[in-house]
Amino acid sequence: MTLPPTLNSRDTILAVFDHFREELDDHNDRRERLIKSSRDVTNLSKKVIFLLHRTMTEDVGEADDRTLGSRAASRARGKLKEIQSLFAGMRPELSGDRYARYQRNVSPGLQEYIEALSFAHYLEHRALISYEEVQRSLCDDDGTPYFPLSLEDYLLGLSDLTGELMRFAIASISRRGGRQKANDVCHFVRDYFEGLTPYFRDLRKKQAVTGQSLEKIEDAAYAVAVRTSEFDLPSEMLDDLVAQMVSRTADRSGFGDESGRRKPRETDYMDADD
Amino acid sequence: MDSQNLERINSMLDAEVEIREKIKEQVTEFDKRTRTLVGILNRIHSTRSEKMSTLLDQARPVLDSCRETTAALADIVPPDQFWKWKDMWSLSLRSAVFSATLMEYLNSGTLLSLPAVAETLGFKPEWKDRVTLAVEDYLHGVITLVNELSRLAVNSVTLGDFEQPIKISLFVKDIFAGFSMLNLKNDTLRRRYDSLKYDIKKIEEVVYDVSLRKLAPSAQEKAE
Repeated sequence: MTLPPTLNSRDTILAVFDHFREELDDHNDRRERLIKSSRDVTNLSKKVIFLLHRTMTEDVGEADDRTLGSRAASRARGKLKEIQSLFAGMRPELSGDRYARYQRNVSPGLQEYIEALSFAHYLEHRALISYEEVQRSLCDDDGTPYFPLSLEDYLLGLSDLTGELMRFAIASISRRGGRQKANDVCHFVRDYFEGLTPYFRDLRKKQAVTGQSLEKIEDAAYAVAVRTSEFDLPSEMLDDLVAQMVSRTADRSGFGDESGRRKPRETDYMDADD
Repeated sequence: MDSQNLERINSMLDAEVEIREKIKEQVTEFDKRTRTLVGILNRIHSTRSEKMSTLLDQARPVLDSCRETTAALADIVPPDQFWKWKDMWSLSLRSAVFSATLMEYLNSGTLLSLPAVAETLGFKPEWKDRVTLAVEDYLHGVITLVNELSRLAVNSVTLGDFEQPIKISLFVKDIFAGFSMLNLKNDTLRRRYDSLKYDIKKIEEVVYDVSLRKLAPSAQEKAE
């Protein structure tokens, strides 16, 4: 700007504010665009998460968990790619010092994406996706990051993952081998939960929800443990007993095999979603 | 969680905590400086116009000392992370902007521009991605200036300076015309902008009182 250091007339003041307006408009427009993209990311990520849940609870008889897990992950991969290309599209808007400025506008979508990605990762590998792996999923072909993944988003995304795991554990508890699965999930979540100290304000809030999710899984695991102890039978036999019972009832009433279980599951879903 | 990942997370957390602590230290210092500055400038309401320059001379070194804070912050903030940390010091920075613009107004009756404020506070263009004077912070400072001038309009009359309210009125109207050109979002800047009209009303009332009683010219007579 070739303006005097002090503004002594209305015209110079107006000229300067004209410039401010351009700058502020530019900023607001960019923010709006990013919020929209972030919303698209959230939307797609939610679909991925539902797809994963659906695949894991499909009735496919003989398929074991591992096959189901990799099937779910491979089905999700295409959609995750789609989301990654959305992030690639946001890249110019987030270059340089812009990322720090607009991070909070992109965060909601990014965290949802991390939730979906880490859930798919868990189902496939039974492990927690690392910071590096998430960052790598957000890089172009040369391995240059679209933007530096913030630790905050990574950790908050993982906090959301525990909610999905809770649903997954509770949903599978009535299935064959589900009790073991619930126990695995329980240990996994507990590991994660205890491994982190809540540094960020938002994280502290989410940690509380994670705590609730963990408690729900623990309660379910407890109920199972108590009830199993009443019968001195190996767990596979119990599974078979239950399966027989369920199929008999299903034959008679024509209801799905989960009619009795549906309700608590759906309320859990609503609880964890707010 | 695997240990390598945990280690990485912890080291990143530690680095952030360290930066935050260092910035906090600077902000405390910055806060002290701006509070001293605002404290000195508070006396404008009881200072006659002929003594004003002495008061400004007292405030000047404190304002200049803010450069140390700016330089220290530029040292601490990592590249490209300006927006991540700026909220920590923006309150103090806005008071500094307010002080600088108020001093310039009292000195020359004009509005100190954003680049000029930035220079006064020691911001260097090459630090742009670490510390810079954002438009938002400048505008907040200018709004505080208007708030303060509406008070000065009243108090200068009490001290017998009947011309000051008229000068202030013209100055503030120009600034208001500038703000009206902006498309403000529904944020704090917008709310504070909305409050400007009350300041203008207050100044108008003073001008009205003064001109109705033909006090303004009599001040000139007194000076003769």
